[in-house]
Amino acid sequence: MSTLHEGKSSAQSNPLFQLGKERLELIGKHADALMQGYLQGHVDESSFSHQALEKLINGRILWRPDEQQPLSLRPNVNELIAGLTQDERKRQINSDVGEHLDLIHTRVQSLQTARQKGDYAASEHHMQLLTERVHDMTGQFGDAIESLWHRLNTEFGFVSSLDDKILEIELAQRQLRRILDGFKIISFEDLIQLAGSDGALRKLLVSQLQARISEHSGSLLEVQKRLVLLMARFRHQQERALLVNRMSAFLRQHPNFKVGDYPNRSNVPEVINQAHGISAQGFVALDRPQDSYALAELARAIPRDLVPASQSETQTQGFATAVQDLVATEQKQLAKDVEDFFLHVIESTEAVSGVDYLAENALPWEAEMWLFQIVAEFEGLPQQNKQSFMLEKDSARKSPFNHLHIIQDVKLGMRFFGDFQAVG
Amino acid sequence: MIENGPLLERLLEGEFICAVTDEHSFHKLQNEQLVEDLNHFLRPLNRRVAKSEDGAVYFLAYCDLNQQARQQLSQQFNTTVQSLLPMLEWMQLVQEAMGRDGALSAGDTIKLQDFESKVVDNQSLIQRLGQLSSDKLFKSTSDKSDMQIKQVFKRIKELGYLYQPHKDRLFYIVTGKVEQLIELVRFIKDEENVPIDEHTPEQEAMF
Repeated sequence: MSTLHEGKSSAQSNPLFQLGKERLELIGKHADALMQGYLQGHVDESSFSHQALEKLINGRILWRPDEQQPLSLRPNVNELIAGLTQDERKRQINSDVGEHLDLIHTRVQSLQTARQKGDYAASEHHMQLLTERVHDMTGQFGDAIESLWHRLNTEFGFVSSLDDKILEIELAQRQLRRILDGFKIISFEDLIQLAGSDGALRKLLVSQLQARISEHSGSLLEVQKRLVLLMARFRHQQERALLVNRMSAFLRQHPNFKVGDYPNRSNVPEVINQAHGISAQGFVALDRPQDSYALAELARAIPRDLVPASQSETQTQGFATAVQDLVATEQKQLAKDVEDFFLHVIESTEAVSGVDYLAENALPWEAEMWLFQIVAEFEGLPQQNKQSFMLEKDSARKSPFNHLHIIQDVKLGMRFFGDFQAVG
Repeated sequence: MIENGPLLERLLEGEFICAVTDEHSFHKLQNEQLVEDLNHFLRPLNRRVAKSEDGAVYFLAYCDLNQQARQQLSQQFNTTVQSLLPMLEWMQLVQEAMGRDGALSAGDTIKLQDFESKVVDNQSLIQRLGQLSSDKLFKSTSDKSDMQIKQVFKRIKELGYLYQPHKDRLFYIVTGKVEQLIELVRFIKDEENVPIDEHTPEQEAMF
């Protein structure tokens, strides 16, 4: 930019063109080694030929910061790579506004001088430089903001430890504040005066710039908010990690550490008030007729293994097949019904006929089987209990030729004070 | 209220509800009106809906701290305090093995395979895992790292600090119950004046 080239020559004929192209190509040619140098902080001189090294130094790509120091990339090249790769470790945020404003003032003055002289070409040239300068300034802020957003969105992933992240956020907060401070220096009143009545200048220096700056400010305020949130989160995480580490170290060192009896204090702290679990269980209940259909459905839906998987001996009790299982189930039900019959007898005031009970309750058993089970149950009672009941068999002789008696019904009643309570 | 039956039941069973274990219910519980309704129902059972200080997890607490409730709390508190050190050591182990900076928090994911490969790469981690897994909280009797890891994670899942979204995949998510544990640690530190705040880095290096 220091070489002012007067005249309206085309870009190619400008000597800068050739020089810049050569140097960009030089960078491209040594991209591998230069990138290595970028990452290591210095270049390995042995990977270049002597000539190449000289070209790179003369080309202002490499330099030796100090005689003792190894060759490294010039700051501008470093910055270029950092910007191109969004490498937040090395990316710099340039927040200096003052210098830009100074340069803008100078350019405007040169422009106005050229115009007064009527030098159209020169004023064109100055206008171009001025435009570039303004765009450089806003672009620089745009880059800075983009870099801040990028760091935010990756949660400062370019540094690994939490401590470093917190330091990086602090740095970003300082940079952000500097940019915002820089915005304050821009006085649009001055710029309006500077532009005067020139429409193009007004547009460049006032309306466009103002729009960009206010857009940037909004973005920066948002970044600021997010940085504060992220910082709070990192601090929180850091505090937790410290708490966990230190507490466990403390507990290891003090194996006999006793904690207070908080559950029995007058004020029980919230943090330990956790109710123990209770499980509410429900069972099959047949006391609501409207449920019986649904329950029967459920019972039918229970899958029955045709060949039961290895059952323990206590479970099988000699039965081995599914059919026998079914019989066992039926038998259990029969025994249960008989038990209910006994309970019914206990509750009722009179002796109850087994056959009548069977019919009244519409039980599915054959009368013979039913009566047999009642008798069996009665006989099976412990002696003490047996005395409480009285069983009367209603039987008739089947044939006059033998002593076969057929039991047609049994009546079961409670025995009080040794008497059959209701005499049949 | 009917539609909240299953949620109530889970709370009653002693489950902790957080965004990891049941996001839908967790959001429901953020509705104060619903919590009030649930509390109304829970009142005869001497329970109410409570949440951790940061609101990361919901659970049931006692309304009235009667003798019976206190007894339960004592028992539970003792168990928790006894398991505190192994739990904290487990958190540290995971944190170090996975190269994490912050302590584990709700929503963090742990692939058992990753964890295992990190641990078996490092002799000191293997040793620490061995010690940890034989603690009476985990009761591993195996001397193989992979079995020890499985046992430790299984136990921690049972304790409710880990959630396993797929039964047959060894992939875990840290639940909000961990936040409640951290709050307890913080509480103990403050209440018992555990002198761990003033540690300078030099002192820390001595551990």
